[in-house]
Amino acid sequence: MSELIRSLVAWLIFPGFGFLFVCALTVEWIDRKLLARFQGRVGPPWYQPLADWIKLMGKEDILPVGASEWVCAALPIVSLAASLTAVLYIPVAGHTVSAFEGDLIVVLFLLSVPTLAYFLAGWASVGVYSLLGGNRSLLQYLAYEVPFLTALSSPAILSGSWSISQIVEWQMRTIWGALVLPVGFGIGVIGLIGKLKRTPFDIPKAKSEIVAGPLTEFSGRKLALWRLAIGVQTVVGIFLLVNLFLGGSRLSIVLPVAPVFALKSLLMVLLLSTISALYARLRIDQLSDLGWRVLAPLALAQIAVTVWIAP
Amino acid sequence: MPKTVVPIGPQHPLLKEPLSFLLTVEGERVVDSSLRLGYVYRGIERLCQDRNYTQNLHLFERVCGICSYVHTLVYCQGVEALLGLQVPLRAQYLRVLMCELERIHSHLLWLGVLAENMGLTTIFMYAWRERETVLDIMEELSGGRVTHAANVIGGVRLNPKVDQTTFDQIAARLRGMVAQVEEFQDMVLNERTLQARTQGVGLLSAEQIRRYCVVGPTARASGVDVDLRRDAPYAAYDRLNVRVITHQAGDVWARTLVRVQEVLVSMQVCQQVLSEMPAGPLTVKVPRRVPTGEVVSRAEAPRGELIYYLRSDGSDKPARVHIRTPTLPSLATMGEQLRNINTADVSAVLSGVDLCIACADR
Amino acid sequence: MSRFRPFAYLLPQVWRMLWRKPNTVDYPFGPPKLPDYFRGRVVVDAEKCRGCGLCVRDCPAFGLKLERTGKSKFRLIYYPDRCAYCSQCETSCPREAIRLVDEFVPATTDRDTLVEVLVEKEPVQPD
Repeated sequence: MSELIRSLVAWLIFPGFGFLFVCALTVEWIDRKLLARFQGRVGPPWYQPLADWIKLMGKEDILPVGASEWVCAALPIVSLAASLTAVLYIPVAGHTVSAFEGDLIVVLFLLSVPTLAYFLAGWASVGVYSLLGGNRSLLQYLAYEVPFLTALSSPAILSGSWSISQIVEWQMRTIWGALVLPVGFGIGVIGLIGKLKRTPFDIPKAKSEIVAGPLTEFSGRKLALWRLAIGVQTVVGIFLLVNLFLGGSRLSIVLPVAPVFALKSLLMVLLLSTISALYARLRIDQLSDLGWRVLAPLALAQIAVTVWIAP
Repeated sequence: MPKTVVPIGPQHPLLKEPLSFLLTVEGERVVDSSLRLGYVYRGIERLCQDRNYTQNLHLFERVCGICSYVHTLVYCQGVEALLGLQVPLRAQYLRVLMCELERIHSHLLWLGVLAENMGLTTIFMYAWRERETVLDIMEELSGGRVTHAANVIGGVRLNPKVDQTTFDQIAARLRGMVAQVEEFQDMVLNERTLQARTQGVGLLSAEQIRRYCVVGPTARASGVDVDLRRDAPYAAYDRLNVRVITHQAGDVWARTLVRVQEVLVSMQVCQQVLSEMPAGPLTVKVPRRVPTGEVVSRAEAPRGELIYYLRSDGSDKPARVHIRTPTLPSLATMGEQLRNINTADVSAVLSGVDLCIACADR
Repeated sequence: MSRFRPFAYLLPQVWRMLWRKPNTVDYPFGPPKLPDYFRGRVVVDAEKCRGCGLCVRDCPAFGLKLERTGKSKFRLIYYPDRCAYCSQCETSCPREAIRLVDEFVPATTDRDTLVEVLVEKEPVQPD
């Protein structure tokens, strides 16, 4: 009975749905506020993402003729569910719900599901801009995913374990992953920007070319769930990178766990927002160029070096 | 591969004014395009025949929001030519000042719009911040940020409290802006992602420019050396040195560079005007009725050569006014520029040509 | 270091912007800044107005109307919703009776306020 209650608390409150909902809104607010300050604007107040979400939930929910209603309703839920399941294996402030050897692979697989759901959303909600955006999102997925997965495997090879909790334990014993594997960390960050479709890789949802890409025809509750799914994906991606490369939740001197983890996550958010403010949007063929000609060889080189120095 | 028709329709985040492009797209390549104008047609050329010359001044100011001053300038020059008036020198210098300020604000607006369409929202905010300084200066001089109502037939009408100290303050504020604009020029020359999106896109050769009669910075970026301020000087331009910027590349990047460098040139012209401002009256007395005749008057708007054809029949209302705005030939080249390019380059091409659809539709 | 600048060109500027005040004014929670020569609403000094009608003839938006209400009485009507705030009436008036003031929020919920009678009088006989 207490086992059941503990599981329910883990899934629904911490570190499950409730915690991730609050984190997604907070990260979105920090991102928008930082971007605004970089550009010389004031930025939204703290309740803006929550207000946007509540407003979207109340709006009219229509789809074009020919779009499949149940597929479009199921896709954001699938995307959200995949990210929520992935967080069960990621240590949040040192606290994992469950862990087993190889859970890194499961988490990376689960984090690919939202990207495919995004592409299917473009396909299922029939519309000219959605189809174009869906095609682009698939091309983008092929460009960044291979270097991303390769770079994220390097801490696993270095620490000798494919379980995220074990990798964090190894980093607490020795040194931060980012200091030993800087190239892997860099490619991880670039891959995360590609996965989250932020500038300079927001090609599928390029506002000035294809209106909103695959999500153009979504509105109302479906769009609210999509935005929540994207927010949760951001948070889970950040937690994953913090655990794999930034040492999880301890510094070398013993400090309280939760603030250190929060600080590292905030540093990641700062990094992502700064990169978003700096660059123009790339073209899809330039991204494929970058992904296959620069990132993939660098990631392979990183793996080679890691295998060579692994104990 | 099947062909889809993608509408860059009347409403699109890319466009500031309604315009309809229908692009035939195959995968990620644009194969063909068709253009449709007229969404902002207000019938100004017909409306002006029911209003007298003084009322028409304000009507023509509202043809376009960005180049509103130049429209009134060209109209006033035409009517003054029909009346045989000589505008006082101080008024001519002030007209040059307002024209150059308008060129600065128009080019900064365009830089922001190009950056926004490329995804660089940061430069959009920075450019429009600099534009605010210029708009504040124009508001101090004339009372309006966008519609200045600063021209009258026979001269200039400004804030009565403007004197030499105001001009010195304006000169100081313009000098304060130069650093940021030089940063923009440096950025265009150096920033990799902007260059990746704009270089090699929207190529127009000098021969195509001449065939379509394209004017303005779009022409100058392909090496065609036309600038009315030097070739057919009006207002006080024959006493000022204006450096004409040209580039040979002919793509959107060259157009960006030309426009940013023209902002710097305009600031120098403004400094020269402010330091050499002569004293004197601002207007001359103007009769109500304009004698019969026809006149063609033109000026260099921020987008190129603006032409007005005026015909009067001796009454106090014009018989016919025809406006040729500089965006129209640029729109004619869109068919060539949009053929066989990447879908992602459409935003670069459309931004590069500096569309002002309100001007084109009248 | 400047060899790496093209790869992150905007970084110094963007970082500096964080420590400056924002460029935007918090209107309507903060005051707007109006210049002294601001073209707002039309106001007439009824003492000076003679009913010559030059302002009516020159208004590009047909926003002023002169009505004869009696043998030598007249009324000047102003339509704020048609006004283009160009101040041509102020320039055309030979007696400087009409001017534009600082008000710039003409929105209203009462349609009758969109027709304003500016002057209603009998003109003073000249000596």
